[in-house]
Amino acid sequence: MRIGRYELTLEARPTRPALHTALTAFPAILLALALSSFLFLPAETGFLSAYRAVFSYAFANPYGLQATIHRAIFLWLCTFAFLVPMRAGLWNIGLPGQVYVGALAAFAVPYALRMSELSHPPFHPGLIILLMVVGASLAGAALAGFAGILRAKLHVNEILVTMMLNSILFWLVAYMIKEGGPFMSATGEGESFNLPPSLYAPLIRGVPFTALLALVAAGLLDFLFVKTTLGYRIRVFGLNPAAARYAGINPVAISLLVFLLGGAFAGLAGYHYFAAVPGVYKIPGNYGFYGDLAFYGIICGLIARGTALGAVPIALLFAGLSLGARFAQGQFHLPFGVDYALLGLLMMTFVASHFLYQFRIVWRPVATEEVPRVSAGIPER
Amino acid sequence: MVRFPFTHPEPEEPLLAARGITKRFPGVLALHRVDLDVKAGEIHAVLGQNGAGKTTLMNILFGLLQPDEGQLYFRGQRVHFRSPHDALAMGISMVHQTRKLVSAHSVLENILLGHPGTRGFLNLRTIRREVEELCHRYGFTVDLGAKVWQLSEGEKQWVEILKALYGGAKILILDEPTSVLTPPEVKTLMASLQALVQDHGVTVILVTHKLPIVTAISHTVTVLRSGTVVARLRTCEATEQLLVQHMIGQDISSYSISDLLVEKGRPLLRVEHLSAYNDKGVLSLRGVTFSLHEGEILGIAGVTGNGQEELVQVLAGLRPPASGRVLFDGRDVTWLSPLDRWRMGIGYIPAERYEIASVATLTLVENAALNFHFDPLFSRRGLFNHPGLEKVTRHILSHYRVKAPHLYAQARHLSGGNLQKLIVGRVLARKPKLLIAHLPTQGLDVEATAFLRGKLLEAKAGGAAVLLISEDLDEILSLSDWVAPIYEGRFVAILPREGADAETVGAMMAGLRREEAGVS
Repeated sequence: MRIGRYELTLEARPTRPALHTALTAFPAILLALALSSFLFLPAETGFLSAYRAVFSYAFANPYGLQATIHRAIFLWLCTFAFLVPMRAGLWNIGLPGQVYVGALAAFAVPYALRMSELSHPPFHPGLIILLMVVGASLAGAALAGFAGILRAKLHVNEILVTMMLNSILFWLVAYMIKEGGPFMSATGEGESFNLPPSLYAPLIRGVPFTALLALVAAGLLDFLFVKTTLGYRIRVFGLNPAAARYAGINPVAISLLVFLLGGAFAGLAGYHYFAAVPGVYKIPGNYGFYGDLAFYGIICGLIARGTALGAVPIALLFAGLSLGARFAQGQFHLPFGVDYALLGLLMMTFVASHFLYQFRIVWRPVATEEVPRVSAGIPER
Repeated sequence: MVRFPFTHPEPEEPLLAARGITKRFPGVLALHRVDLDVKAGEIHAVLGQNGAGKTTLMNILFGLLQPDEGQLYFRGQRVHFRSPHDALAMGISMVHQTRKLVSAHSVLENILLGHPGTRGFLNLRTIRREVEELCHRYGFTVDLGAKVWQLSEGEKQWVEILKALYGGAKILILDEPTSVLTPPEVKTLMASLQALVQDHGVTVILVTHKLPIVTAISHTVTVLRSGTVVARLRTCEATEQLLVQHMIGQDISSYSISDLLVEKGRPLLRVEHLSAYNDKGVLSLRGVTFSLHEGEILGIAGVTGNGQEELVQVLAGLRPPASGRVLFDGRDVTWLSPLDRWRMGIGYIPAERYEIASVATLTLVENAALNFHFDPLFSRRGLFNHPGLEKVTRHILSHYRVKAPHLYAQARHLSGGNLQKLIVGRVLARKPKLLIAHLPTQGLDVEATAFLRGKLLEAKAGGAAVLLISEDLDEILSLSDWVAPIYEGRFVAILPREGADAETVGAMMAGLRREEAGVS
């Protein structure tokens, strides 16, 4: 852009180590918080106390912290579900559908074993829990794999397919748990049956074992992408599909594989929220809220730029702030939607920080060059 | 040095003139002291092979690029185009090779898009009347209400031309206008361009590598080769054969036939009646048959778009053949996957360095791994052997003289020549039995070209069979044992190098058969 004798241009910055990238996150968070002080202006006690409420509920209050951790585990798994296909250049927008199908598969296990709330398990409950976990992952993988197959074999857009599957699965859950559905609770309140206590997921220091699964998975995923041949092939395919084909990488296999792997994580996320979080142990009537929450996996994955370990703190922050802001909203009678606005601001500052990290805006004078308009006569050849 | 038949400039002053235009891109000299004179009311063809610098020159005339040296003159006055905006203000308009239309909008909406008279409010009725008048005047029949996505490629081009004329264009630059048109559409285009020029005083600069079009409608032709003007002719004085020779070069003195005595080995590749469709569904490779022995180079010479691309892709496993078969080392490989071909020892150097042969944002090591990731030496139990890959990459960088900051620099930071050296080095490091080299030296500087040609000869000396596809006749004739001119998807002949001279091969590239080209 040119203004008078000055020119405003964008210049690419030279590439820098990944650690620097991580450090840019801090000013982004601070900026988002500064901007969101406008949101807290209506708070009766001033915005500083609103901030204190947000953070102390999310990360210091025992109830709040527990909820934050449960939500973070869910977001971690959803983030990985998005991130694996993204490394192959494919968009898994079907996180909610895969979460639902994972939950349905998990609850299908006790249903098939005809275990009511009080009956004794027919065999070791640990084995049943394992079946639930595996079932949820397989179901998520199968659903996403469907989109992956269509993409790989027929070049059907994976975004459209996964979005439509979300809708189909949303109503399938409604059918299963609402009036007369097979999974309906005994009280018929539009929820699924409660899991028998013997099938409650084991806790490690009060935290569901799914946390351990998610954290180990984060490490393994980064290892996959950095150290293994398969990870290399996925990255090449994602960055340049034509080069991948040239190099003998099978596009069908890669497309299918990333969706199978991604879907397995989303299915596991469904298991986690509905069968492993203390106090839930059922598919609640407002399951759609958790489906929408799964979309934050996309944002965390994008902000972390494809690194699973990088997504861990980001998802934790998103989980905490979404809960803390909702709490503060109730506490200080703030307008509805403050939590969403805060997360939105955070997203924007993260994106802006990435942009400013890669480019710089330069403001410099234009070399004055008079345009000769006098008849100069064309020189002879 | 051969003297080029420059015609003497006529006393009449050119409408648009370029003097001493030089343009450099990193590692590539795109244009070198180019002069161009376009007179009012003529169709001026700019002819040249891919990479000859035609599009760069046009982008300079249109203000998209600024020359490093040289000047532009419009009606005898020195002008300086900082952006296309300045060129448009003088009535210079360009129709690009790729369509720049909004496909969901109507023809009329596309025509008025960007027109200076449409700021603020749109008076669609007045504009429609004006455009209709314009259509009537120039004899166009385009449905102004139709959506652009409903139009054929030819009609879309009309819309672009109409848009340019509605914007007040007096000089139309058409970049490869016929590349996506069907033969009847090409005919219509040629007729209308002639009408535009003769009846309405529009000046047309036509950029193309299609000879029949040049000879059919242009008045003047400027031939570019490797960024320099090699001929300026009045079309009535030129024949297609003469033009081909200018395009491909006939500088006999520069032949440096390095006679590495290589013993002809056993037969390695046999291709039988191979045909293939191009991306538009046209059968563009039409029954090619040949065989190749170890230690031989077969040079396929042809003007762009005569089936070379499809032949190469079928042999690399990236395009399914329509018919025919390919035997490699005695095995039918017609339907083998690219990976199996790599494993069997077929190495492929694609023409598209940036689009296919490399990944811009990956490191040099990772780019080198493109041809090694499936090799058990570099992938043990699914884990990458990073030290091994580093060693190979270091070897390639030193043996192929790749100038690179370090092993973990991104490929996009390499110049075109250095990237190509990395690609060639990577493919040759696999010691392929068959090497397919598609335009291996296109657009490279003299040093890199000579170096890579030497490497191809070394590969041949090492017993590899080499299929060299090039548009540079010097390259073909100086390296090949056999020369196959290709025209419209068929080999016109397969000549031994001793029997192939530039004139014969050039004539065959223009479509003349053996007898006509004077070969018995």
